[in-house]
Amino acid sequence: MLQESLTGGNLDPLYCALSHYRRRNFEKCRIICSELLDKNPYDQVIWALKMKSMTAEVMVDDIEAEEEGIAELVLDNDTLAQAPRPGTSLRTSATAQTPGQAFRPRGQSGRPISGVTRPGTQSTAATSLEQALKTPRTARSARPVTSQAARTVRLGTASMLSQPDGPFIQVARLNLANYATKDNISKPLFQYIYYHENDISNAMDLAVEATKACQFKDWWWKVQLGKCYFSLGLTRDAEQQFRSALKQNPTIEALLRLTRVYVRLDQPLSALDVCRAGLDTFPGEVTLMTEMARILEGLNNIPASVKYYKEILQKDATNIEAIACIGVNHFYSDQPEVALRFYRRLLQMGLYSAELFNNLGLCCFFAQQYDMTLSCFERALSLAVDENAADVWYNISHIAIGIGDLRLATQCLQLSISVDRNHAPAYNNLGVLEHNRGNTLQARGYFQAAASLAPYLYEPHYNQATLSSTAGDLQTSYVVVQKGLKAYPAHSGSQALLKELEKHFSNL
Amino acid sequence: MMAIPVFTLHLNYQVLPGRITIGKYDGSHCCLTAATTGDKVLIHSPHKRDKEFSLLNINQNITALCAGRLNPEEEKDILIVGTKGSLLAYHVENNSDIFYRQVPDGVNAITIGRLGLLENPLALVGGNCSIQGFDAKGNDPFWTVTGDNVRSLALLDVDGDGENELVVGSDDFELRIFKEDAIMAELTETEAITALAAFRNNRFAYALANGTVGVYDKLHRSWRVKSKNGTECLACFDLDGDGVEELVTGWSSGKVDARSSRTGEVLFRDVLSQPIAGLVCGDYSKAGTSQLIACSYSGEVRGYDSSSINKDESLQMETVRDLFAKKQALLLELKNYTSDPSSIGIPANTRLLTEISTCQSSNQHKGGHIVLALSTNNLTVIRAVTVFAEGIFNGETFVVHPRLNEVSTSLTVPLVPPKDNPLDIHIRAFVGAIPTTEQLHVFELTRQLPRFSMYMLSGPASAKTNSTLLQTSFVSFRLSERVQRIDMWVNQNFLLPHEYNMASSTVNGGGGGGAEWSICVTSLRDNAPLLMMYDAGKLTVGTENMSLAADIVQSLASYLNITQLQTYAEFPKAFDQLKDCLNRVAELQQNATKMAASVADSSNLIRSLVVQAEDARLLQCLKDMREFYTELYQVNEEMINTHTVRRNNHEQLLEALRQINLIIQQAARLRVGKPKSDIVNFSRTAIANNNINALIKIIKTGEV
Repeated sequence: MLQESLTGGNLDPLYCALSHYRRRNFEKCRIICSELLDKNPYDQVIWALKMKSMTAEVMVDDIEAEEEGIAELVLDNDTLAQAPRPGTSLRTSATAQTPGQAFRPRGQSGRPISGVTRPGTQSTAATSLEQALKTPRTARSARPVTSQAARTVRLGTASMLSQPDGPFIQVARLNLANYATKDNISKPLFQYIYYHENDISNAMDLAVEATKACQFKDWWWKVQLGKCYFSLGLTRDAEQQFRSALKQNPTIEALLRLTRVYVRLDQPLSALDVCRAGLDTFPGEVTLMTEMARILEGLNNIPASVKYYKEILQKDATNIEAIACIGVNHFYSDQPEVALRFYRRLLQMGLYSAELFNNLGLCCFFAQQYDMTLSCFERALSLAVDENAADVWYNISHIAIGIGDLRLATQCLQLSISVDRNHAPAYNNLGVLEHNRGNTLQARGYFQAAASLAPYLYEPHYNQATLSSTAGDLQTSYVVVQKGLKAYPAHSGSQALLKELEKHFSNL
Repeated sequence: MMAIPVFTLHLNYQVLPGRITIGKYDGSHCCLTAATTGDKVLIHSPHKRDKEFSLLNINQNITALCAGRLNPEEEKDILIVGTKGSLLAYHVENNSDIFYRQVPDGVNAITIGRLGLLENPLALVGGNCSIQGFDAKGNDPFWTVTGDNVRSLALLDVDGDGENELVVGSDDFELRIFKEDAIMAELTETEAITALAAFRNNRFAYALANGTVGVYDKLHRSWRVKSKNGTECLACFDLDGDGVEELVTGWSSGKVDARSSRTGEVLFRDVLSQPIAGLVCGDYSKAGTSQLIACSYSGEVRGYDSSSINKDESLQMETVRDLFAKKQALLLELKNYTSDPSSIGIPANTRLLTEISTCQSSNQHKGGHIVLALSTNNLTVIRAVTVFAEGIFNGETFVVHPRLNEVSTSLTVPLVPPKDNPLDIHIRAFVGAIPTTEQLHVFELTRQLPRFSMYMLSGPASAKTNSTLLQTSFVSFRLSERVQRIDMWVNQNFLLPHEYNMASSTVNGGGGGGAEWSICVTSLRDNAPLLMMYDAGKLTVGTENMSLAADIVQSLASYLNITQLQTYAEFPKAFDQLKDCLNRVAELQQNATKMAASVADSSNLIRSLVVQAEDARLLQCLKDMREFYTELYQVNEEMINTHTVRRNNHEQLLEALRQINLIIQQAARLRVGKPKSDIVNFSRTAIANNNINALIKIIKTGEV
């Protein structure tokens, strides 16, 4: 047994540090390394170990955490085609419809609801900088200013921590060309600079030197170089590096990063091709299939997406994302009973969250298992924190409407708004309820509030337009219904209303 | 003659000249595609009702654009976009890249099609001294070098063997025809070749920077015309519906005209308000047949087909104009006959004597030049001379007319051909009895300048002093040929004061007897010596100038009908330059990467500053906003400075790459036949592996 003392009695301190590193006690490992380095500052083994442990402390999976910032969204035009054919772009397809699928509601961040919430898939509805900035930024829907800023916040926290005796390594003072030639030290050093210091340009300098030092024969360096290019926004250079690395040695990481390049370029079909080619080399690889399913979901090609999620479940029966996405798909295809089975599976796997109980409750209700419904929602409420609670209350209002208790529904919606003042769907539904009660003026106020909070929702626009048209305010109705059609061009109710209004105007 | 367009439309975008193409991206509908200012590609799809225009962001200066069927397994056209450092093949229908490749040599011209016996269609890309061919997967199975920057490309079957050859027009006024990777023919023009267009029947048309348009039938020029306007673009289209394609030219004056490909006669004409940016052919009005589509700089588009030509009216007008011109000519002639008979004619036996020689330097002309001396055989005087020759003077013609008091019976014209090419000089001398006469006789004659006319025979002393050249900087090869034949070659290709006859005597040149043969000449351009020695079946050409050596090898080989020749070359100066260039390229490329990274870093900063400033504005926080904008201004200034540095860096890189390509090309021209094409491929492998020593060995020996 190791003793409480960090160096463990008579054990070799290096061994001890290594052991701590393996057991992920990075802080202890770092302290031992610092002590050893005080004795002998030139010991490269310990230096490298300290770098590795410091990197491991702050490193997170940056493939999953990728997100586009406001600046990229509005100012960049990496995407090649401005008006591509529907079904070939992730940008236009938010409104593109596949036959047989109902229009999925959109979540708080403005994108169609998926089984799981993941970064980088927020709606790209904003077209101007002003609009992007004015879109309400809550803790959930806020975007970083730039993607590099996003990474700085998420990963580079270490660079903000103050270190008592100054930084461990002064990157600017290093002779990168010298270290690049030392194979055993260059790689940990790169990761340290990239992940810990978050100093992309120096990391890139090192990578450039190192690829040169190994005569462009090491695929690892090419992937790292590609990573640097990508985070600097040099997408095309990144593509070259990843492709070259893949030619040398196909790896899943490089494949995933290459698909990200194409997603950034808004070329989902190329991204799918990359994945497909990757699946030939790595048959049944779950991460690649997940990537494909996500892209297909982004293209709103839900049947194909679900097909891949099902395949994923064949390979990995505990894949939460796949289970949740298939569940959602069943729910929105009017099969709540089947969806219920998937959510129960999630529950069996130990997932215990407000969202899950909320979904279970909804499934139970629509599957007419009323006894379970309320208990599920109760549990969801007890687990919910702040913003989740708004959603839960919003869903309970649906149950209330379903059982005809409109008073309860109103109360639930008001509770929902009291928790989250930006809950646009709640405003909308509240408006509908007020309208039924005959409070037209109040209803209109709610619709307007909902529309201004979430311009991507078509319901408040349509409701307001109908309201205005019945009230005789045809001009307002005409303006508003067009906004609604912008959010959802295929909505037949809005189209009919617009046609009627146009007919009316032409009669005048 | 004036044509009525079948349709007109306006793109509402400024269009860049020469960067217009048409493609069937969905396999059936033609879409006009043009590069616009602001680094975008505009695709106009007339069949899509509400989404006719779509734009592609390229974000770099577009230098070339081409659409074609690159993938033989798919009916759909692929759009190829060239920028100064990259090539993008894009599937428009699927919104996906086919491939993206970095092309450090730049992309000046693109054409798509099958070349020779190569299996797949290629996108052939002409850059700075290099030509690359990419297939649908992004591999480049074809690569070769050429003499100068490529300006235009065309694929057609020139020699009628059923396989396509590649015609390359470049900045050094040469038209080179590549049969796969071997040069089949070189044709010299008088200016940079800006556009090429292929006809169906072994013909192709060319346009030069000085406004000349012409047609080659196989390797012979059928006709050419010159205009004061610049030619912007060429197209081949059967406009009058007679089954024979006409040559359609778009001019910088906004004129579009179609000429018969056989005679050059103008059949059709129309004028747009702006210079023509491009001409393409395709079915644009859903008529089932193609139309000729002309697009101007401002984005005005007009389409023509056979119904555009209104024959009756035009014929009448034309006849009237012809007859009027004839009348004018006849009137002038009549005036000549009726003029004062007392004016003195020149004696019937007057002849014009010409002599061409070399000269080190003279009063009229500093530096070495060729002297064309004209004189009459009696007392008549030469009032003026016009000399017409391709590529020697600016504007092709040179006129010498001395002052009235300096007119005499003889006249000298200095000539300085910039390149070693055989030249035809057309001379027109105006001869009169006395200097003041108004009426002059015109003598027309044609003289030929041999290929190496700018070299002067030097004495034995100079041959001795420069004899070390044969050991230090030379090309040598085995040649089993009679010495007399080499003599004949020398006499035909050099401008010597008297017949060179080494075989029978040992009086001239450097001396020496038996099988040994040698000659020493000096270049009039830079006074550099050139030595040639033939000893025991081995010919050695000593010069410091690698391209001159290459010219001599090529000239000898074609004269002696040598089809295959391997040589040994030693050019220390060129090798040093090569090493220097390769090192510089490595350094410059590294700089470029570093600078690109720093620019990307700064632009990220700019982005976030813009967003933050805008955020501050919306929040009415003007103090912060001012701060952000001040910072933005500073970063921006910095970016502009970096950009200047980057541009210089890029220019140097281009120049270095160009030099390397040039040296390889000259090395290839030191050989004949298979060794010639081999050397290009070997060199490429060596450069790809960054193996300088191997590259130099290849250039020396022609083998790996």
